[in-house]
Amino acid sequence: MIRGLFYLLIFPGLAFQVVCGFAFEWIDRKLLARFQRRIGPPWYQPLADLIKLFSKEDLLPLGAYDFVDLMLPLISLSAVLTAGLYIPIARFTPFSFEGDLIVIQFLMSVPTLAYYLAGIASVGIYSILGGGRSLLQYFSYEVPLLITISGPAVMAGSWSVAEISSSQLTMGPFIIFQPLGFILAVVGLIGKLKRDPLDIPSASSEVVGGSLTEFSGAKLGFWHLVMNVQAVVGIFLLVNLYMGWSNLTFPFAAILVFLVECLLMVLILSGASAVFARLRIDQLAGLGWRILVPLALLQLGFVILMGV
Amino acid sequence: MDKISIPIGPHHPLLKEPLSMRIDIAGERVLGGTLRLGYVHRGIEKMATQRTYVQDVHLIERICGICSHVHTTTFCLAVEKLLGIEVPPRGQYIRAMMCELERVHSHLLWLGILAKHVGLETVFMHAWHDRELALDIMEGVSGGRVSHAANQIGGVRFDLSPEQVAMIKENVEKLKAQVSGVLDVIENEPALRARTQGVAPVSADLIRDYCVVGPVARASGIDVDLRRDDPWPPYDQLDVNVITRPEGDAWARTLIRALETRESLRLCEILLSQMPVGPVTVRAPRKVPEGEVVTRSEAPRGEVLYYLRSDGSDKPARLKVRTPTLAVLSLLPEQLSKIHVADIPVVLAGIDLCIACADR
Amino acid sequence: MKTMRKRHSLLNAIIDAVISKPDTVAYPFGELELPEGYRGAIVIDPEKCTGCGLCVRDCPAGALKLEKKSRDEFKLIHYPARCAYCSQCENSCVKGAIGHSNALVGATAHPRELVVVLKEMKEGEG
Repeated sequence: MIRGLFYLLIFPGLAFQVVCGFAFEWIDRKLLARFQRRIGPPWYQPLADLIKLFSKEDLLPLGAYDFVDLMLPLISLSAVLTAGLYIPIARFTPFSFEGDLIVIQFLMSVPTLAYYLAGIASVGIYSILGGGRSLLQYFSYEVPLLITISGPAVMAGSWSVAEISSSQLTMGPFIIFQPLGFILAVVGLIGKLKRDPLDIPSASSEVVGGSLTEFSGAKLGFWHLVMNVQAVVGIFLLVNLYMGWSNLTFPFAAILVFLVECLLMVLILSGASAVFARLRIDQLAGLGWRILVPLALLQLGFVILMGV
Repeated sequence: MDKISIPIGPHHPLLKEPLSMRIDIAGERVLGGTLRLGYVHRGIEKMATQRTYVQDVHLIERICGICSHVHTTTFCLAVEKLLGIEVPPRGQYIRAMMCELERVHSHLLWLGILAKHVGLETVFMHAWHDRELALDIMEGVSGGRVSHAANQIGGVRFDLSPEQVAMIKENVEKLKAQVSGVLDVIENEPALRARTQGVAPVSADLIRDYCVVGPVARASGIDVDLRRDDPWPPYDQLDVNVITRPEGDAWARTLIRALETRESLRLCEILLSQMPVGPVTVRAPRKVPEGEVVTRSEAPRGEVLYYLRSDGSDKPARLKVRTPTLAVLSLLPEQLSKIHVADIPVVLAGIDLCIACADR
Repeated sequence: MKTMRKRHSLLNAIIDAVISKPDTVAYPFGELELPEGYRGAIVIDPEKCTGCGLCVRDCPAGALKLEKKSRDEFKLIHYPARCAYCSQCENSCVKGAIGHSNALVGATAHPRELVVVLKEMKEGEG
């Protein structure tokens, strides 16, 4: 019982993922700042931002649904935290079962739906526009992402992330066999996290803040936590699916390799954010269905043929 | 799909200065919009009649932060015409050099804003890093990055020492290399081209109907540039290349401003190399004889026009300023039909708004 | 080749940015270098000032005030909060007494109460 609570709340549950979320946000902002010839924030900035947000006043427009707007970020936060419980951290996973990859995908889609509902529930005009755009974006990147993620599962012969990760010890890391799949998975992750170049729902030049325009105070603080934890869980997932070098015997070596792989992923995400421009929603839909889906099917077909 | 009306209100991340637009959209298509100005109106024309000419130079400088030097230059030219005095050649050359540097800094600022609205924040930061070189020149020479206080009636306030001339030459060389890098990025970056090509094309007839000036007019093929057509010295001794493009869409406007930056740097070098020696200012009397005069200049955004009437005292009787942004803004509702919602930032950036200029 | 070239320029700029020193300064914890000609706070050379009032007449912002009781007793007051730092006073002064230093005026919570007495001359002095 105590052990279960420890796993849920400390590691690899709430405290660990929130701290990793802060670390991710800081590294991302610092890298982006360095790319742009700026100094960037100090290491305690994400924590300071969260504390500041929780101390601010909570305002919503007249007619907005206050209770719904409070519950939506909390539900999303619990969904992504739960998704993170099933992903091995340097080979350590207390909860893992056959088929947890599907559950993780489902849980990671809850924040997207919650984002849309948050836009509708806070009845400002920019929120509604942003919410609608986020669903349009969801339809464009989710299908290629699902097809691509099936690649490692087929290759390892299992739908459990822990199994996929440990089977790379014998088969070699999947990024070598499925480089195209890795790139497509990174694109899908960028879309899911709503980062540049796919931050169309919250493009500040067009729709001020997207669904979160009217949020402030503690509710916005929770949404920031959701974004950070979602990013961290997504990175852990991709590292385990494609870069399985962390399944070595010695725990310190495993932790070190896992850390290096995660930092590499953060570098890729920040670099993509700095180099590419924001797409228009019709360009994204064209890209998603005309380029990404055929490529993902090609990659999956190749994996199946290789296994046969 | 129903028609909804979104406000690009006085407060919006898209706008540097307050401006009110109501844009009607249906889904992701824009149907049209209305415009409302006046949020930054400070009554500068009225204030100018309550202050002396000497004080007015500093008042006029604060009409706009980006094109401040060209406003004071045009005003000083008007007063000097009424007084009948002529600025010494070295003063004219320094004035023109500051004008060209201001054009460089304004276009680099504009490029950063366009890149930021398209999502390329890195290009924004890099363009503004290059702009710092131009601002360093202006700070070293005049003592202020944006408000130079370079002009006074009768000439310029400061002279250039040999060390300063060497510093300017060095920085201009560095700027030329950086600007070619920026031009490279603009021409080869597919995302920028994809977002701006074919967006909101404006025909030359529409430009003539609305009397649009500046880079927006040159992007639709109209060959007009006051540095060549109505020059004040020393522009009459310089050979200015006027760059036009026939397409008239946002991509043409982007390319024109980038190429104009390069041209301005070339003019800067020529001005520095041909700078005559001598005094930089003449003494100007305080009381201006009766008369009225119109002077024009090519600001970074187009033609700026000053009408000045004096009644013999040391305060102007009437000052009228027509800034280029006002002419270009009248084209905005026309441009806003038949585009996507995501193109609104690109269209607004292509106009290169300077609402402080437009509202005075 | 064209595709290589298009990414090349932006990636080049990013790598260059990471290697070189950042543009921004963590003011006020870092140092700020201002050039010598920077138009900062107003300073005066009291020996040269005669209380003629040319600077007061030409100031566009009304930041200078001269309280003249008699020919030899005057007080020159400067309001830094109203000043536009335009150097018109420096141009107008025929004696070269008033001018700019390149020091920054410190921030304060009550800018309207900022008053600097530049020169005070009493009857019988000078």
